[in-house]
Amino acid sequence: MIEAGKKAPGFSLKDQFQREISLSQFKGRRHVLLLFYPLDYTPT
Amino acid sequence: MQALLPRFRAAHTQVLGVSVDSVYCHGNWARDLGGISFPLLADFHPKGEVARAYGLYLDGAGITDRATVLIDAAGVVRHAESVTPAGQRDIAALAAECERLDREYSGPVEDFSEPAGLPEDGLLYVKSNCGFSRAALLARDNLRLSERIAVRNVSEDTAAREALVRAGGSEQAPCLVIGGETIQESADIVARLVGMIAPV
Repeated sequence: MIEAGKKAPGFSLKDQFQREISLSQFKGRRHVLLLFYPLDYTPT
Repeated sequence: MQALLPRFRAAHTQVLGVSVDSVYCHGNWARDLGGISFPLLADFHPKGEVARAYGLYLDGAGITDRATVLIDAAGVVRHAESVTPAGQRDIAALAAECERLDREYSGPVEDFSEPAGLPEDGLLYVKSNCGFSRAALLARDNLRLSERIAVRNVSEDTAAREALVRAGGSEQAPCLVIGGETIQESADIVARLVGMIAPV
């Protein structure tokens, strides 16, 4: 697992509304909370 | 999670879900949970690539760990925690963690603007057995707009088909009529709805 203090790896992925969302679009604007989960149909 | 979104927004924090499912699967799952308006990202192609980059892909099981990573606005990881795939996250504790980061963080951040919302109640014309219609319906449900946007199925309802032709100039569906506008492509319908309700 990535450690605190490290630079977050960039990504660009599609969401459920077909939007392309990238980490870089939040740089200098917002903090980002990533919730990784094993599979759909499990609790968030 | 959805209920605590205002706390994350106030703490200048964008919430993003990530799993190895496809975008289509996300849409259905989110709807079954009563509508999820924050982005659920499909780490699907190649499968688990982003989870791998964060050291959270479980190769043996072919799934992603249930884990949470908080990144500050400068792009630095501030907190990373796994609760194991079978575990459960403490969302309220995560909200408190984001609020603490936001208080301590001295760099620039932007406030979330209040979404514009719908200009008025709308009407969505759909067809049976049509993937584009399903996509528009999924977006409506995920954005919790079922009370605000009525649905008429033109495959089953002649009066609806006639009304659609009058509104849209053709039988093309899906078609969203809202605020004096007629929007006909499913991608445009979804983009317009999400822009009004849950912009990123």
